[in-house]
Amino acid sequence: MNCHDFEKLAMALARNSLLDAKARDQGLIHTEVCNRCAALLAQERALLARLRAVAVEMAGEEPPARVDALLLAAFRAQTAATASSIVIPAQGRVGRWSSWKLAAVAAGILILISVMAILWKSTSSRMPQREDRAVAPKPVNTPGPQAESPVSRDQVADVRPKNLPKRIRRHASMKSPDETEVVTQFFPLREGEDLTTLDSLQMVRVELPGSALGEVGLPFDPETAPESVKADVVLGQDGLARAIRFVR
Amino acid sequence: MTKPMVPSDAELLRSMLAGDERAFTSLYGRYKGLVYRFALLMSGQASIAEEVTQEVFLALLRNGRRYDPERASLKAYLCGAARNQVLLLTKKERPYVQLVEESDEGQETPIAQLISGDDPLGDCARNEANRLVRQAVLALPARYREVIVLCDFQELSYAEAALALDCPVGTVNSRLHRGHALLSKKLRAAGLDSAPDAQVMRCFA
Repeated sequence: MNCHDFEKLAMALARNSLLDAKARDQGLIHTEVCNRCAALLAQERALLARLRAVAVEMAGEEPPARVDALLLAAFRAQTAATASSIVIPAQGRVGRWSSWKLAAVAAGILILISVMAILWKSTSSRMPQREDRAVAPKPVNTPGPQAESPVSRDQVADVRPKNLPKRIRRHASMKSPDETEVVTQFFPLREGEDLTTLDSLQMVRVELPGSALGEVGLPFDPETAPESVKADVVLGQDGLARAIRFVR
Repeated sequence: MTKPMVPSDAELLRSMLAGDERAFTSLYGRYKGLVYRFALLMSGQASIAEEVTQEVFLALLRNGRRYDPERASLKAYLCGAARNQVLLLTKKERPYVQLVEESDEGQETPIAQLISGDDPLGDCARNEANRLVRQAVLALPARYREVIVLCDFQELSYAEAALALDCPVGTVNSRLHRGHALLSKKLRAAGLDSAPDAQVMRCFA
C-alpha cells in the first residue's frame, strides 16, 4: 500500500469502520513504516474524538416541552379531523370529495358572495369613505371587513402554504388590545395550484364549524368543535374555493 | 427473560398515521433529539432548531404516507427533511443576525450545568474546547458542515447520509475528507490540536 491508497482509507481506519480486514491490516502496517501517514491517522482519530466529545455533550439537548406539546396537539387535531366529517376540502382531499358536494359548496359560496356584494354596495353608497378600506386586506391583524374584498394578484403572493402553529403564536403575541382581528395565513385548498396564474380572485367571509381548523392542521378543541369560527375563503372565477384563512 | 419487542420505525409510522397517539409519541421520542441536534449544529441557533423540529414532524404527520421504508431509513428521511428546513430557514433569516443566543423564554440555566464535577478546571477546559469545536463546525461551508454533522455527530452511515443529502455516496466521502481537512485547520488555528482526553501518539513499539 502506498501513501495515496492510505489517504483513501484513513477516515475509515480512524472510525474502525473498515470492513475489509486485509485492507485494514495493510493500512496499519503502512503506518508503521510511514510517519506522514501515521500522523494523518492520528490527526483523523483526534478530530473524531473531539467531534464525539461534542456529540456526547449534546446528547441531552432536545426540543423544549412547548414543541412537544404543540406537536401532540397537532397530532390530536389531525386525528380528530380524520375521524369527524370533512368540512372543508383540505390539501390532497379534494379528489375524494364527490362532485355534488363540491358543487353544493360552490353554490353556497356564490350565494353568499351575491348577498354580501349587494350589502357591500348599499353600504358603500351610503358611506363613500369606506372605499379606501376595500383595498387589500392585510395578511395579519386586519381591521376586519365583514364583506367580501377583491384580492389583487399582489395579494395572492400571501396565499402560500406555510406552517401554522408558529405563525399563530407570533400573531397572538403581536395582538394588541385595540386590534379587532387576528388572521392566520392562507391555506391552499387545491394542491399544486398556482394562484398567481389566475386572473381574478375574490375573498368572502364565512363561518364554519370549529373542526374545520383541523382540516388544515390547526389545533382545535374537539369539545368546542361544533362552535363556528370565522374564515376568509378565496374564490376563483369559477366560484370554487381556492384558499382559506381563519379569523379570530 | 425475553426482551420486549421493540416496534420498527415503519410499524410505528403506520400506527401513527392510523391515529395511534402512543405510536406518535414513541416515534417522536425516538427522533426528536436527532432532528433538533442536527438543526442546532447546522444553524447554531436554538430558535431555528425548534422551528425545524416542529416543521419536520408536522410534515411527517401530513405527508408520512409518502415515506418509503424500502428507499431510506426513517432516520435518513428525517435528516433529509431537517436539512431542507434548515436551508430554508437560514436563508430566510440571514438578514437578521442574532448577536446573542437568547435564553429559553427567561428560563434559568439548568442547575446541573452550574455544578462542576470533581475536576472543575478540566470541566471548564472541556467545555471551552467543545464550544470551539462547535464554532469551527458552524464556520464550515454548509456542504461540508452537513456531512460532518450527519456522519460524525449523528453517526449515520455514508449510504444513509447520501440518501439524506440526495447525493452519491462518493460525494459524501469526498466532502467528508475535505470537511475534515478544513475543520482540522480551523481547530489548529484555535489552538486545539489533540484529542480531548488522551494524547493520540504514534506507538513505536
